[in-house]
Amino acid sequence: MATAVIMPKQGQSVESCIITKWHKKQGDKIKKGDILFSYETDKASFDEEAKTEGTLLAVFFEEGDDVECLLNVCVIGDEGEDYTEFMPQNKDMAAQPQEQKEQAPSEAPQPVLEQAPAQKDGFIKISPRARALADKSGADIRFAVPSGANERVMERDVQNVIEQGKLVTSAAAEQYAQMQPISGTGIGGRVVTADLTETVAEKLPIAEFKEVKLSNIRRIIAKTMHDSLANSAQLTLNTSFDASGILSLRKKLKENAEQLGLPNITINDFITFAVSRVLVRYKDLNAHFQDDTIKQFTNANIGIACDTERGLMVPTLFGANLLSLAEIASKSKALTTACKEGTINPDLLSGATFTITNLGTLGVESFTPVINPPQTGILGVCGITERTKNGVSYPAMGLSITFDHRAIDGAPCARFMQELTQALENFSLALMA
Amino acid sequence: MPKSQFINPDEVRKSSFIKFDDIAVNQYNKSVAQEKANFSNDDFVRIYRDMAIIREFEGMLLDIKTVGEYNGISYNNPGPAHLSLGQEASAVGQAYLLDQNDNIFGSHRSHGEILAKGLSCIYKMDNDELYSLMKNYFGGAILKVVEGGQKDVKEIAIDFLIYGALAEIFARETGFNKGLGGSMHAFFTDFGIYPNNAIVGGSATIAMGGALYKKANKKEGIVISNVGDASMGCGPVWEALNMAAMDQFTLLWEEGYKGGLPIIFNFFNNFYGMGGQTFGETMAYNILARVGAGVHPNQLHAERVDGNNPLAVIDAMKRKIDIIKNNNGPVLLDTIVYRMTGHSPSDSGSYRTKDELDAWERHDVLKEYSGKLIESKITKQSEIEEIGEYAKKLITKALKLSIDDNVSPRMNLVKQPDAIESIMYSEENIEKMHQDEPKTLIPLDENPRVAQIKKKVRYAFDQNGNPVSKNRVFQLRDGLFEAIIHKFYTDPSLIAYGEDNRDWGGAFAVYRGLTESLPYHRFFNAPISEAAIVGSAVGYAMSGGRALIELMYCDFIGRAGDEVFNQLSKWQSMSAGVLKMPVVLRVSVGSKYGAQHSQDWTSMIAHIPGLKCVFPVTPYDAKGLMNTALAGSDPVVFFESQRIYDIGEQFHKEGVPEEYYEIPLGEPDVKKEGGDITILTIGATLYRAMEAADVLQSQYGISAEVIDARSIVPFNYDAVIKSVKKTGKIVLASDACERNSFIKNIAANITELVFDYLDAPPVCVGARNWITPAYELESEFFPQADWIIDAISDKIMPLKGHVSKSNFTETEQLRRNKKGV
Repeated sequence: MATAVIMPKQGQSVESCIITKWHKKQGDKIKKGDILFSYETDKASFDEEAKTEGTLLAVFFEEGDDVECLLNVCVIGDEGEDYTEFMPQNKDMAAQPQEQKEQAPSEAPQPVLEQAPAQKDGFIKISPRARALADKSGADIRFAVPSGANERVMERDVQNVIEQGKLVTSAAAEQYAQMQPISGTGIGGRVVTADLTETVAEKLPIAEFKEVKLSNIRRIIAKTMHDSLANSAQLTLNTSFDASGILSLRKKLKENAEQLGLPNITINDFITFAVSRVLVRYKDLNAHFQDDTIKQFTNANIGIACDTERGLMVPTLFGANLLSLAEIASKSKALTTACKEGTINPDLLSGATFTITNLGTLGVESFTPVINPPQTGILGVCGITERTKNGVSYPAMGLSITFDHRAIDGAPCARFMQELTQALENFSLALMA
Repeated sequence: MPKSQFINPDEVRKSSFIKFDDIAVNQYNKSVAQEKANFSNDDFVRIYRDMAIIREFEGMLLDIKTVGEYNGISYNNPGPAHLSLGQEASAVGQAYLLDQNDNIFGSHRSHGEILAKGLSCIYKMDNDELYSLMKNYFGGAILKVVEGGQKDVKEIAIDFLIYGALAEIFARETGFNKGLGGSMHAFFTDFGIYPNNAIVGGSATIAMGGALYKKANKKEGIVISNVGDASMGCGPVWEALNMAAMDQFTLLWEEGYKGGLPIIFNFFNNFYGMGGQTFGETMAYNILARVGAGVHPNQLHAERVDGNNPLAVIDAMKRKIDIIKNNNGPVLLDTIVYRMTGHSPSDSGSYRTKDELDAWERHDVLKEYSGKLIESKITKQSEIEEIGEYAKKLITKALKLSIDDNVSPRMNLVKQPDAIESIMYSEENIEKMHQDEPKTLIPLDENPRVAQIKKKVRYAFDQNGNPVSKNRVFQLRDGLFEAIIHKFYTDPSLIAYGEDNRDWGGAFAVYRGLTESLPYHRFFNAPISEAAIVGSAVGYAMSGGRALIELMYCDFIGRAGDEVFNQLSKWQSMSAGVLKMPVVLRVSVGSKYGAQHSQDWTSMIAHIPGLKCVFPVTPYDAKGLMNTALAGSDPVVFFESQRIYDIGEQFHKEGVPEEYYEIPLGEPDVKKEGGDITILTIGATLYRAMEAADVLQSQYGISAEVIDARSIVPFNYDAVIKSVKKTGKIVLASDACERNSFIKNIAANITELVFDYLDAPPVCVGARNWITPAYELESEFFPQADWIIDAISDKIMPLKGHVSKSNFTETEQLRRNKKGV
C-alpha cells in the first residue's frame, strides 16, 4: 500500500523547511534507507531517508520549495497504485505531480474523529518516546494499536502507523489546532482522544460560522502587533490640550486656502507638525530600540497610521521636522491616498522613527496605541470633548502616548507630552520657531 | 586461631580461682608542699591560669546561652554548648604532661580538654614551630584575625587557640574546622587535639585506632580516649577496651611491636549521663575503675583519680604514661569530676538537689586549688585576682572577634555553593601514605598464593570457547588478592584486619597467602567487634595510615552502625578537609545462610553522604576497583558477593591483566551491547541478567544491552542515558530488597533525565520485601532470570507466548505496598 513521506517537524518552532535537493525522481525504485531528499531549516540541514520500500509514485514539491512541516512531500508505493489521497492540501505551495497535472486533486480524507480510540475509556496511553516520534512524523496516534504492557502505545506502534501512511493530513492538523487547548487531560499532560472528540463534538454548542482565511496583510499586522506587545515594555500616558487655538487657525487657513495656495490642512497635519518639532529634542522617543542599543535619529520620520480596506497601513513621512506645515499636509495626503489605492511604494511603508495614529475622528476619547517595533513611541490622537477651565469651557483634545519603558522613562516622556501640548496650544508661536 | 597456641583440655578444665589485685581509689594524698619538688612556682600558677581560662570560657558560653550577654556583649548562639564548668582541674591535670605528639580524642563535653591540651602544647612548643603552624593553617586565616598587639608568639598562640575554638563553636568559617564541626566536634590536630564526638562513647574505638596507628607505625606519643562515665553503657566502648588489650599484642606480635596499645581510656566521671545517674541508677559497676578488672589480668592498671585536684591527675598521668612507655598499655582511668551546670543549658536539673550542688560548690576546683597555693605561699590572692582579670580580657577579646561578621564570617553557601560539596571527599590518589620500606616477611614472588595464581588462566574461556575449570581459572577472589597484596608491598602504612583474616585467610579465602607475607602488626585477627573494627580504622586513617578492614557479612553493618554511618562517613567533611579517610571497608554479601546472612545493604550505604560504594562482580572489575579504592583518600565501602568469589572473567576478553591498573569509581560498564532494551544491574544479579538476555534473544528476538553498575556512589549516568536513548526501555535489577533499593533511585533519575526517550516506564526487579528464606527457597526471593523476563512482559511489552510465573502486575504492586511487604 502507498505511503506518504511528510516533511518532518524538526523542533517545536520550525514551521516549514526548504527542499534543497531531490536525490530520487518519480518512478525510481526506493529501498529502505535511501536518501529521498535533502532539506533545511534556517538553522540546519537534514536528509530524509526512506522508511519503506517501493516506487517513488509522486513528488509534490520541487527543489527550492518552502514546504510546511507535516505536509506530504512524496509518495512511495507499488507501481500504478493510486496516490491521489496523499496530495497535499495547500495547492498554492504544492507543485502538481509532474506527469499528472491534468488530474484534479481529490479531497484529502477528513480526520476520522469517530475513529475508535486506542483505549476504551478514550485515553491514549502512549510512551513519551512514541509521542515524540508521532509529533515529529505526524503519525496519527489514534490509529496506533498499542503493543506495550497495559495497552500502552510504544514507538514501534507509531512506526506501524507511519508505515501504513496514517499520517495527520494538513487539514487534520488544522483541525487539531482548532481543538486548542490541546492541553491533555491524561497523565503528564498526555493528549487523550477524549480531549479531541469532546471539545469539538460534544462540549461546544453548535454555532454557525464561516472560516475566512487571513489575508497576508492581516497576518503581518497580527504578527507585528502581537510581537510588539509580547516583546517590549509598553505603557500609555494620557493628556489633553486646549484645541481652540489650532481649531481657529485651521478655520482661518481653510477659509483662505485658495487665496494662499495652500492645500487642505487637517488637524492631523497640525499635530504632525508639532510632533516633528518637539520630537527631535527627545532622542529616545525618536529612536529604534534594538536589544542592547538605541538608535537615535537626527530627523523625525513620522509614520502616519492609515486605515484602509485591507487593514492598517503606516506610510512614512520622512524628515517631517524639515517640512513646512503645507508640505506636511500635501505629502501626508499623497501617502494616505496611495495606501488606500494600494499603490504605495513598499519602501515608504518602513523607516518611521515615531508613529501618529488618529482615532479621534471616530469619537474615541482615549486609547492605548500599540508601538510599531523597533520604534519606541506612538502618539494616539483622540477626539475633542468640552471641558471647563476657570468656569470657561474650551474644546479639549486628548492625546495618548504609548512608549517603550525599556527605552525611555515616564518622566521624560511626560515632559515630551507637556512640551507638545504647549506647542499645540500656542501653535502660531510654533509656526514661527 | 594460631596453631602455635595449644588449647590444652587439662589446663582449661583445671579447678582454680581468679585473683584480683586491689584497685586504687583516690589514693593520691600529697600536699602542695610535698609537690614542690616536682613543680616550680610558675608551674603551680600556670596550672591555675589554665583552669581559670577554661572557667571563664565556659562561664562566658553559659552567660551567652542563658542570658544572651557576657561582659556587656550581646550574642545569640543557637548551637549546642555542653559545658564542663566544675571539671577544669581534670582537663588541665591530664594535659599537663602531654605534647603535640600525644593525641586526645574527646566527647560532646570537651571544650576544657581542647583548651587545656592546646595551652600545654603552646607552653612546650618552640616559638618558630608554633608560628609556622599557625601561619600554615588554612593559609593563616585564623592567625590573620587574632594577630596584632601581643608581646610574643605564645600570646598570639593563646589568642589563636581560644578564638579558633570559639569561632568553631559559633560556626564561623574562621573556626578550627571552618564551623563545620561545631561545639561538640571542635578539634585541632596540630596540637594533638583529635575529633571530639557527639555520639556518647564514639571516641573510644576511634582513639583505639589512633593508638593502633602509633603502635603499628612506631610513632611517638600516646593516645587518650576521653569519654564520660555513661559511655560505659555503650557496647563499642567495651569493644575498644578489649581490642586494645588483646592477648595477641603480648603473645603473638613481633618483637618491637609487643605489648598492648599505647592508650589511656580516661573516663571523666561526673556521675551523670544527662540526668541518668550512673552511680546508683543506670550502671552496675559501683566504682567505674572496677571495669578494668573485667577486661584483662592486669586490670588495665585501673584506678580512680580525684579529678578535682589537678595535682592528683598529673600524678596519675605520670604513672600511667610510664606504664604505656613500657608497652604495658592500655590503661583505664576513672577520673571523678562534678559538672556544676546542666548537661546543656536546657537542663532544668530535675534529677539532683540543691544540697548536692551546694556541697560540690564548697569543693569548687578553682577555689580549692588557689586556696592551697596561697596557703603554701606560692602565690597571693592578688595574683589570683589578676589571673581572673587576665582570663576575662582574653575571653572578651575572643568573643568580640568571633561574633564580628566582618572578621568571622560564616561559610557563604550562596556565593560558594560548592563549599561543603568540595570537602565531602578528598578525592586524592596517594600511592603510599608513608615513604619508608613496607615491612613484609618474604619477597612478593615467594608468596605461595602469588605462585599459585601464576599458573591460572586469566580468562573464563579457552581458545575453543569452553569454560576453564574452577580450579584453573583466575577467580574473582584472586583479583582482589592481587590488588591487596600489591598495596601491602607498596604502602607501608597499609594494615588489614577483621574476623578470621589471618591463618584462615578470610572466611572466603580472599586473604589466603597474606599470612605468609605479612607480620602481625600489619595483618591480624580482630575480635568479633564490628564497631571496634570500623571505629579503629577511622582512627587509624585520620592519624595518617591506610586501613583495609572487613565485615564478614554485610548484615554485620548493623553492629557497626554508628562507626559506618556517623564516623567513617563524616570526619573528612567535619574537619573541613583537614583529615583524610583512606579506609576500604570490605563487606561480603552472603547467600545460602538465611535472613541475617544474606542481605545486600548497598542502598543503606549509598544513603549516607560521605561514603563511596562499589560492588564489582567480575575479576577484572574487582582488581581494578580494589586498586583504585586502595589508592584513594576517601572511605570506600567495597561490596563483594559470596555467590561469585570463584567466578572467572567472562567479559574482558584479554583476561585480567597481571600488571597494576585502576578502574575509576563511578563508571558503569556495558557488559553486553544490544539495541532493544537496557538491563542495568547492581551486584551479582548481573549473571542472571545475562541469562535473561540470552533467553530474550533466542526466544523473543529481543536484543538486550546489559550494564553493570559496578559503583553506585559515585555514579556516572552517561552510559545508561546513552543506552536508554537507544533502547527506550530499561529494567533495573539487584539482590537488595526492592523497597528503597538503589535501583529505585536510578530509575527515578532515568525517568527525569530521559523521560522523552522512554518507551515504557523503568521497571525495577528487586528481592522481595521479606526475610531471606533458606537457600532452597531463594529462587522465590532473589531476582532470577525469568523474573526479569516476566517484568519485561508484564510491565514493558508483552512477549508473545510468554507466560509469567512471577506477578509483576500493577494490581500486585499496589497490593504489596498496601500490605507493606
